Amino acid sequence: MSSMIGSKLCRASVQLMRCQPLSKSACCLSSIKSVDVAGPLDLKEITGKERKELQEYITVDQPMDISLVSGVPEEHIKTRLVRIATTPKNPMQSGTHNANNWFIQFDTRERWENPLMGWSSTGDPLSNMSVTFSNKEDAIQHCEKNGWKYFVEEPKWKTPKVKSYAFNFSWNKRTRTSTK
Amino acid sequence: MLRGPLTKALPCARILSPVKTLSTSAINNEKFEVFIDDKKVMVDPGTTVLQAAAMVGVEIPRFCYHERLSVAGNCRMCLVEVEKSAKPVAACAMPVMKGWRVKTNSEMTRRAREGVMEFLLVNHPLDCPICDQGGECDLQDQSMAFGSDRSRFTDIDHSGKRAVEDKDIGPLVKTIMTRCIHCTRCIRFASEVAGVDDLGTTGRGSDMQVGTYVEKLFLSELSGNVIDLCPVGALTSKPYSFTARPWETRKTESVDVLDAVGSNIIVSTRTGEVLRILPRLNEDINEEWLADKGRFAYDGLKRQRLLTPFVRNCQGQLIATEWEDALIAVAQKLQTSEIAGVVGSLADAESMVALKDLLNRLGSEDLYTEYPFPLEGSGTDLRSSYLLNNKIARVEDADLVLLIGTNPRFEAPLFNARLRKGYLTNELDVGYIGPKVDLRYDYEHLGESTDLIKQLASGSHAFSKKLACAKKPLIVVGADLLSRPDGAAILALVQQLAAKVTTDANVSSEWKVLNVLQKAASQVAALDLGYKPGTASIRDKKPKVLFLLGSDEGTISRGDVGQDCFIIYQGHHGDHGASIADAILPGAAYTEKQGTYVNTEGRAQQTLTAVSPPGLAREDWKIIRALSEIIGEKLPYDTLLEIRDRLGQVAPHLIRYGELEEANYAEQATELAKGVSSNLSSEPVDVKQKNLEDYYMTDPVSRASGTMAKCIQAVHKQKQSKYYEEAVN
Amino acid sequence: MAKLIGLDKLANYFRVIKHNGGILGSIKTLLRTDDLKFGTLVGVDKLGNKYFENNLYFYGRNRWVVYHEKFGLNYDGSLVPSEWYGWLHYKTDYLPHEDPGRPKHKWMIQDWSENLSGSDKQYVPYGTTRTKVEGWTPPK
Repeated sequence: MSSMIGSKLCRASVQLMRCQPLSKSACCLSSIKSVDVAGPLDLKEITGKERKELQEYITVDQPMDISLVSGVPEEHIKTRLVRIATTPKNPMQSGTHNANNWFIQFDTRERWENPLMGWSSTGDPLSNMSVTFSNKEDAIQHCEKNGWKYFVEEPKWKTPKVKSYAFNFSWNKRTRTSTK
Repeated sequence: MLRGPLTKALPCARILSPVKTLSTSAINNEKFEVFIDDKKVMVDPGTTVLQAAAMVGVEIPRFCYHERLSVAGNCRMCLVEVEKSAKPVAACAMPVMKGWRVKTNSEMTRRAREGVMEFLLVNHPLDCPICDQGGECDLQDQSMAFGSDRSRFTDIDHSGKRAVEDKDIGPLVKTIMTRCIHCTRCIRFASEVAGVDDLGTTGRGSDMQVGTYVEKLFLSELSGNVIDLCPVGALTSKPYSFTARPWETRKTESVDVLDAVGSNIIVSTRTGEVLRILPRLNEDINEEWLADKGRFAYDGLKRQRLLTPFVRNCQGQLIATEWEDALIAVAQKLQTSEIAGVVGSLADAESMVALKDLLNRLGSEDLYTEYPFPLEGSGTDLRSSYLLNNKIARVEDADLVLLIGTNPRFEAPLFNARLRKGYLTNELDVGYIGPKVDLRYDYEHLGESTDLIKQLASGSHAFSKKLACAKKPLIVVGADLLSRPDGAAILALVQQLAAKVTTDANVSSEWKVLNVLQKAASQVAALDLGYKPGTASIRDKKPKVLFLLGSDEGTISRGDVGQDCFIIYQGHHGDHGASIADAILPGAAYTEKQGTYVNTEGRAQQTLTAVSPPGLAREDWKIIRALSEIIGEKLPYDTLLEIRDRLGQVAPHLIRYGELEEANYAEQATELAKGVSSNLSSEPVDVKQKNLEDYYMTDPVSRASGTMAKCIQAVHKQKQSKYYEEAVN
Repeated sequence: MAKLIGLDKLANYFRVIKHNGGILGSIKTLLRTDDLKFGTLVGVDKLGNKYFENNLYFYGRNRWVVYHEKFGLNYDGSLVPSEWYGWLHYKTDYLPHEDPGRPKHKWMIQDWSENLSGSDKQYVPYGTTRTKVEGWTPPK
């Protein structure tokens, strides 16, 4: 019986770990991995007391460091520099829907070209990883958790100025259009 | 409020800026509420429906509307329903009224969009598979999102589709005019931002064509931006045509270093090759634009590159070697303290601090930049003497600008675009001292004599009154003018003039009157790091070893240092520096390294690595670090973060990326400049880049670029044209 | 009974020694081929390589080739001529001279040529990619 409760606790803690980052819309690779092992859990199964215990069980005050268990080679933790920035607006298009999320990007390592076929290769497993976050804090937390050094680039956006169709026809301003 | 400005009819309306007209309007200047899709939003009077919707995150589809251009209202894609209005309204042109309820997703709105889209597609060719805009096309995306799901186009013989002849408008912009949907963005860009009234429309209805009226090339230093503006594939990039699809390329956000503005760019790469460069939005610097040199000179990164180290053998021939041999050969020569270093216009701050540390350790203090700057008075000790103190973005708030010895149109095209924006929307007036050039806006030409500065400083010139009356006056001095032998006297006079204008016009302390416009991307960082400006003292000292870090402007030649001097060149292009060198160390260009650059307003920014350096070339600071170890004076940094710590020790603002570090000692600089002799030479004020053909090739990258060479050819061809008229002011 | 106490193993051992020409011969074969076996000689090809078969060994090891002594230790699979290839690789159970329906192509009777891999005459494919970066050549 006690082992059953133990396994339940374990599953529940995993489940809550999964809920926690998702509620912040962050993508945490390692926690998703562990969910695959545990499987889903019906939260209704847990009574109020157990739920309270669970909450006590998973509270972590100190900063989490998963770099030891994340499976990322040591070289790619200690020598990498991460850039945290927002996706820029595509200058070729007017839409801005994809232009506001935060992403992490690793420093570019050497790429070389296959002399026979011209294919491009890289020895960097992290260069093709694209992870996006809904806000800057989540991205920073993710980098700290994985032990990566990082810097943050703030976007340079501003609200547009007031303008009017009438400016095209104002008789005393230089905004009057000459060509059409 | 648009209907009732009585102020317009009054003579004083002329001096009021448009923004002020709005705020002093008698009707209402308080925010009021409107509802977009039942979401409440408080807006300023004069806000359009489209802007109000953007505030609550509702994006209304549009083709002709662009935030940085005037409102045209001719594509009709932004039609939305307003409650109690019988007809849909064009959101881009219609200002919202109090209490309006706008429905951006109602049946009427959707039907209106569908209808507009159908009309646009009737005459649009179905050539998306061979169109360069494919994958980043507004028409493609919006027809998927808002268009009808079935076609009523039954003309199977394809006899009814409109076809328009393509125009040749130059070597940069390719036109496929059949694809044009007549949004007139390019026309408005040309006449408003670029100031070139070349583009326009002829005909009406389905006979309407966008073109240049007469056979003419669209030549402007900002012409590439119409490629971005075009919402369809009618205007595409000629050098990039049929090269790649946007989803195949890797995009790296970087900074342009081919002028001192520091425009933000996106470098698209595939298989280790830079395919194109696009602007990146940065409101403080380049807005959404990019000058043609920064956009199209990238093919210069693939030509004339230094791929291996070279060392001159005993026959006097440069021989390609391995790194080890080259570094040992250079290290043997560097065992002396009679070394001088010169940094060129594209050097990054990391390599400059590494070179300075190395030469200092070897006992040499002779570190120079290529471009001179007066050293009398405060010299380069106070940053306010060599920065564009008032920020690039605030130029458009100015009401009077005095340009002295600079042609911003070619030295900093995006700074000139800001001036033109102020000229158009803020009634900015410009005074100009220097040779007559075409700035693409009207200016008051004061003359060419340096004596004019003296007259202005003493207040005896007629223009002084204007300066005194102005609310936000600016003085912009070209760095070239200050590199003259009497540059110190000019700088002292200009500082006096600025101080006088500051007190006369009673401007706030926030507003910096004195501004220096630099030409080289490395200059500000070099001066911040303590490099001495100008190479004149090398000619006197005759060092035994000369270390050129990417200096290619030809300010120092073999004759200046003598045949015995061992010249080391480190850089990325085989240009002037490499041709006089005894040893060549191949470095990385700005797309190939993570480097720090400080723009003319003192803002530190960094480039990011887009591709690996070609061949045996390596990042510049790493070469110097490796060299130091062989010499036996090992520099104490191994990683980028460590060398940036060192940069921070020397000048903390160099690693505060994106932040502007202001200079505040303009008054002290003026005081110190009082001792400088005020003997001006009688030589008139001159600028180096007078015409468009002088703009394209100014640095090793653009000199190696085939596209830039074609541009110069095109300008010469244009001059042969019977429609060409000499620009006059 | 003899099988039970392993006498057949002993008998095979002597057969192997005998097949390889005594103790000295066995050591020599072991050095050359890292293997000692006995079997029936089923044929010799034009290069002098000998082909053996012994179904006492498991499938996959029951057919083998011993290269001619003139090749010494410097032998490789390309020494097997095409007519023996099929039998050796179990594509067919017919020996080359027994096979009735065997096609006779020109390339089958081609002479053996040495494998040049690893030498300076080896085949190297040439790249068809264009050079993306043009280097600078110093002026003469």
